Parts: sequence; structure tokens; C-alpha cells
Amino acid sequence: MLRFLTLRLVRAVLTIALVVTFAFVVLRLSGDPALLIMSVDAPPEAVAAFRKAWGLDEPLWQQYLSYFGAIASGDLGRSMRDGRDAIVLVGERIPATLALTVPALLIKLGLGIPAGVYAALHRNSWADRLVMFLAVAGFTVPSFVLGLLLVLVFAVQLGWLPSGGQDSWRHAVLPVITMGVGGAAVLARFTRSAMLEVLGQSYIRTASAKGVPWAQVVRGHALPNAAIPTVTIIGFMVGSLIAGAVVVESVFSWPGVGRLLVVAVANRDLAVVQCILLLVAATMVTANLVVDLLYGALDPRLRRGGSR
Amino acid sequence: MLSRRSLLAGAALLPAPALAQADQRPSITVAVQAISTSGTLEPMREQSNVGFRVMPSFAECLIEMDWTRTQRPRPGLATAWRRIDHRTVELTLREGVRFHDGSLMTAEDVAFSFSAARFGGTAADARGLFVGTAQQAASKVPPPEASAISRAAFPAFDRVEVVNAQTVRFHNREPDVTLEARLTRTSGCVFSRAGFEAAPSWLEWARAPVGSGPYRIARYRPNQDLVLEAHDQYWGGRPPLKSIRFIEVPDVAARVNALRAGDADFACDMPPDQIGEIERDPRLAVQGGRINNIRLTIFDKHHPVLANPLVRRAMTHAIDRQAIVDALWAGRTAVPKGLQHEFYGEMFQADWAAPRFDLAEARRLLREAGYKGEAVPYQLLNNYYTNQTPGAQVLVEGWRAAGLNVQIEMKENWGQILGRFPGRGICDNSNTAGFGDPVSSMSVYGPGGQTWESGQWENEDAKAALATLATSVDHATRRAAFRRMLEICERDDPAYTVLHQNATFTALRKGLPWRASQSFAMDFSHRNWGAQSGVR
Repeated sequence: MLRFLTLRLVRAVLTIALVVTFAFVVLRLSGDPALLIMSVDAPPEAVAAFRKAWGLDEPLWQQYLSYFGAIASGDLGRSMRDGRDAIVLVGERIPATLALTVPALLIKLGLGIPAGVYAALHRNSWADRLVMFLAVAGFTVPSFVLGLLLVLVFAVQLGWLPSGGQDSWRHAVLPVITMGVGGAAVLARFTRSAMLEVLGQSYIRTASAKGVPWAQVVRGHALPNAAIPTVTIIGFMVGSLIAGAVVVESVFSWPGVGRLLVVAVANRDLAVVQCILLLVAATMVTANLVVDLLYGALDPRLRRGGSR
Repeated sequence: MLSRRSLLAGAALLPAPALAQADQRPSITVAVQAISTSGTLEPMREQSNVGFRVMPSFAECLIEMDWTRTQRPRPGLATAWRRIDHRTVELTLREGVRFHDGSLMTAEDVAFSFSAARFGGTAADARGLFVGTAQQAASKVPPPEASAISRAAFPAFDRVEVVNAQTVRFHNREPDVTLEARLTRTSGCVFSRAGFEAAPSWLEWARAPVGSGPYRIARYRPNQDLVLEAHDQYWGGRPPLKSIRFIEVPDVAARVNALRAGDADFACDMPPDQIGEIERDPRLAVQGGRINNIRLTIFDKHHPVLANPLVRRAMTHAIDRQAIVDALWAGRTAVPKGLQHEFYGEMFQADWAAPRFDLAEARRLLREAGYKGEAVPYQLLNNYYTNQTPGAQVLVEGWRAAGLNVQIEMKENWGQILGRFPGRGICDNSNTAGFGDPVSSMSVYGPGGQTWESGQWENEDAKAALATLATSVDHATRRAAFRRMLEICERDDPAYTVLHQNATFTALRKGLPWRASQSFAMDFSHRNWGAQSGVR
């Protein structure tokens, strides 16, 4: 177990180092933060002063070393646009994003898993076809299209809900539905496939043949075995809790991490982008680790060191 | 007899609706693409068009520019001004001006506003690449770019002399007939010294500078919203609105939806192709039009093909500017008479014009230049400016008709356009006239200007003409120098060619007694909100 965890930790550190390097290379080579943050209307002298103040006039390799060295020493840097520590800036936005992504995750789980299980248990019925039709529609419609449609209907036409912003719980309803519907559709599809695969296994037939009640077969044998691929997808969803709402936050003017990321990338605000990417990488790595541990809990063969 | 304490206690016992009824003024919400590009509201740092939109509501200059009606300067925090000599202007300060912190404006506040404390001194050696340092975050020293901005805004500024409590003198090192005009820019806004001193850090000051405008900053959350509340002690009388909330809604469709859903009263930066659709809604209207900004195409004269001025001149004649105005702007803007505005007054060159659309002349110039069809790259941003990409397609087709081989290269940001790299050719730009004199627009084409700094274009004759324009005090000499600048920059050795005057459109709820200005600035003061303002 210790070796397993150490290996995972080393891989996680390596992943984060790669993410940091990738962020630096892509952002730094594709735009001058000084020109983007000061705006093209600012006097060239002011742009040059900004560049000097932030060390952007130094050779690129030197900038990279400073950048990496600061991170290695635990300093995530200051926002070039905002002037405050990047971690503070990002930390302020996390609650707003979680206020969307956590309820959306609950919708995904609460709708997607039961719908997928039901569809699998009633394969080829009208209910199965309806669930699959809605699931395909749900994940093929891009979230920005669904979001704008919901705004047109519920904000512009009916006037029931606000079109954007973050002033009250009512402002969260449409973005949460927008995110929840797409995720629920994905989860329903995966759950159905996993369930169908398990339901076709010989041990399910054996259990039924031995006279075990069908409900017990489903609860005791089908669901735990179908949970493994579903847990993998849920792991990804949990991993994207921090930065999984980029598009939706933009459509609904929701001031979360996603919008901060868009603005920071547009301005090449390296410290902020790097901070968000590190958080996302850390969340993903942690979620994957938890998923790996859950595999062991769900599948006794993995606990014994066997392979799936 | 009622004491102040018992009155306050009584007020506290009043039911909330009774208190709310005390202020019947409306509150409005304005949906904008962005509130500020720098994350601050300090004019010494925030230099963008979007920042200029909100600043007049909370900050004021000694001399104001009336962008809504006359396009002329008018008294602001100074009631009168006179020239002492070519280097000195004396201003009489308005009495009874209160800042948002309640303090009375004094000559000392004016001196502070133009002092090193706000303008910044020598560029601080604050190098710290991406590294957070508590000292910097808590410092009251303006960032180095602030001092650079102040130097660009007042290039020969020497000092402010406090003559007496109501009189100050601006001293310049060089003769400058534009000093009064320069004072109308946001860089010339006056702020409370006490407010600055009370702020814990420069950053916190820059987020909520204490000015004297009709509205005070109640809350500013970068990338989210800016809430302004009425400053009831405003020298011009009680402001007509209780509060103004600017909300950032980057997406055009989302801004229109916010307006239609009643979540916003104004939606800014409407592209022309949306105007018809918005006006079909009987509850909504669209205002706006031409502003003090001109769209240009810039040439890099160091590109091997563009090095020949005849090629550049040919390009200026192969542009159907009127077609761009008619097709892409629905005729809601105009082709300017070169890089100049009528509000330049006596400096305006009425007999100057943009190059005429003449394909035969363009072909003749290309033959004379010996052009053999070599490719000319056109680095293009995707609609950074309204209608930029379709406008570029019109340009390229015109150039193709003249026999020019112009290749569009899409770029993501300005760094990829203005950086020094091989193959840099043509790019788009715009030019804002910050005040009513050609120096405001022409200084870009002299040393220290963007085209010189980025190495796109330099011209020694233009440098001399600009120096004369900037420092001469003789009107005829200055007028001739401006004419020479136009000749050099637009004909002899084209640095740019004008395309059309820029325009900005604001969608709003019908019936709101507000009028759009001829700049990015939005005026919500008593001068522009009320029955007398009418609707344009």
C-alpha cells in the first residue's frame, strides 16, 4: 500500500511539474502579458515600465527559472493584473464555483445513475428509448447553447429566473441545471452500458438460477460490479469541480474560478493561470487516487493485488 | 427638544419600508463587456476605453470635456483659468466641492493629485517575477507604469504651485498651448489627498479612489461589478440616481438577454448587426453613434514589400471606405477627413480628405513601384474591434482587385501583432483623440509613440513636424505643422490609412431620460439624466 501511494505521489508531482511547464511555455510564448494587461491604448512607455517591473524583459529561460523556483518554494506568485497573491484571488472564487458544481454534481448523480440503471433493467422498452434519447440530446447539445436556451425561456420569455449574475440562490438555478443535465446524460449512458455488460455475465444468470430474488441480484451482484466504470466517470466529475464550469460561468456571468481562468488566460496572467492549473491538477490527481482506492473497495481482487 | 441621539434612535425604530421611501430616486444596472482592463479604477493605471466609460461618474477634472453636447471644454473643478505665459496656466478652484470622504477640496488636493505620490517618481526597482512580496502589495508607491502614464499624459509637466486656497498654477517646462486641453483627460482628475493617505495600500486606493464626482464607489469587485452610490453632497446638486451598478457580462448575447429579461437597464457595446433586432422589441431602444476614435490600418514600412511608399499609397487607394460604412455599419458612422476630428476647432483641416477609392490609381502606383505580386502579410485579430474581421475581408478584396496579394494571418492577441518578428506587415489599430487638439492623436507617430516603439514606422520629418506641433505657440505654425503631419503620415510615407470613424452603441430600456455621448464615457449626472436631456 505504501509503495502504491508513493508511486502515485511521484506521478502526481511529475504531472504537476509538467502542467506548470506547459502553462509557462504556452502562455509566455503566445502573448505579451504587458501589452494585454496594460491594453493597447496605454502609452508604450507605460507598457515598457510594466514589462520591466515584472521581469518580462529578461531572457525567457531566466523567467522560467524564476517562475519554477518560486513555485518550488511554495510561492504561487502575484497576479500581474490584480496585484494580489494569486492564491488569494483564486481562493475567493472557489466558493462561487462550488456553489454551482456541487449541486450540479448531485443532479448528475441523482438523475444519471438511476436513469441508467432503469434503462438497463428495461432494455429496449419505451422507457429505455426515452432515457437514451434524452441522454443523447443532453450530451450532444453544447452547454453554452443549452444555457442560452434556458435563459431565453426562463429569464427572457417567462421572467421566472434571472439571466445571469450571482446575487441570490435564484441566480444559480439555470447554470446548475445547464451543467447538471449534460453530466447526468453522460452518467446515464455509462451506467446503462456498464449495467448491461454486467447483466449479461454468467454469475448473474447463476444467481437467478439459484433462485435469488431479482432485486437482490441487482443490488448484491449487478450494481457493485457495474459501479467500477461509473466510479471512474464520477472521479473525473469530482476532479473538475474546481474548473469545470468555464463555459457556463461565462454564459451566466458567474464570478467563479472558470471566469477567472478565462480572464487570466486572455491577459496571460501567469501566476493566476498557474495557480488554477495547479489546483485543477491537484484535484484531479486526488480524485483519481480516491477512485483507485475505491476500486479496491469495490473489487476484492484488486485488494489482493490481482489485476482487473 | 429632540436630541440627535433620540432622532437617530427614532429613525432606527422606523419600519424598513418607511426608510426606503425616503429616497425615491431610481437605481439602474448597466451591463458592460468589461469594467476595467487593469483591475483598478485609478486613471494613472487604467487607460482603456472601458475604464473611461465609468470614470466620469466618480472622478472629475479641473476642466471637463463636454462629450455629450458641445464637444468643447467646460468648467469642472476649476471655474476659470487664464494663461500667465506659454508655460503656465492659472486656475481658480470651485468652492464648496466635497470629496466622497466628506472633506472639502483644497488647492493642496490639486497639488497632491499631480504630485509624485500619485504620479509616481522614478521607476521603483520592484522586480519580482511572479513572486509575491508583502511589501509590494502593501506599498503606497504607485507602480512604475503609473509614472510612465503620467509622463505620457503631461510630457513637459513641471509642478503645481499653490497660489492661495482657491488658486493653483500649472507650470510646464516647455511652451504648450494644449495644457488646458490635457487637463480634461482622466489623467488630470483630482482626488482627495486625505483619502489616499487613509488607504492601506496603493492597490486598495486604486480600487476605490476618492474623487468628487456625482457618485461614489461603494463596491468594486474586479471582473464582477462596480456599484456607485449617489454622492448627495455633490457640488452640482443631488445626483438623479440612487445607485448605478455596472455588471460585467462579456458575451453580447448574454448582455442583450439581461436587458430583455429586465436584469439590466443598459447593455453597452452592441454590434451594428444587433441593432435592428433590438429595436424590434417595443420596450427597447438603441442610442449612440460616432465617437472620438478612428479605425486605422497600420503599415510596417520595414517589410520588404511595404518599404516602398508607393505600394502603401496604392493600398490606401484600393479601399472602398464608404462600402465598409454602408455594409458593415448600416451607415451609422462616417469616413473621416483623415486622422482628425471637427472638435479640433481651428486646427481642423476641412480641405483634407481620406484617400479616394480609385483602383486605377492604385494599379498605376503598383506599376510605378515595380510590384510583382509578392505576398503582404496582414496580421489580424478576431473582432477585437467591432466588425474587424468582416472589415478586413472587404480590405483584402479591394487590394486583390488592385492586384495586391495580401494574406490574412489570424492572431490571438496584441503581443502577436506588435511584437518584432519577421514577416510583420499590416495590422489594424484605432486612435482616440483624448482632447481637442491634433497632438492628442498625432503623438502616436512620433518618438515614444506606438509605431516608433514597436518599430513599425519612423520618419524624421514627422518627428520635426510633431515637435513643432507640440511646442509652438503660434497658431499658424502649428496648423502648418499638423498639415505636414497629415501629408507625411497619410500620403508621402504612409504610416497608416484611416478606415472609418468608430462608433459605439448602447441598448437601453425605452424612455430612460439619458443621452449617449460622442465618446466611450457614460454621463449619469444631472446634466444628462432628466427630462431636459431628451433622447438622440
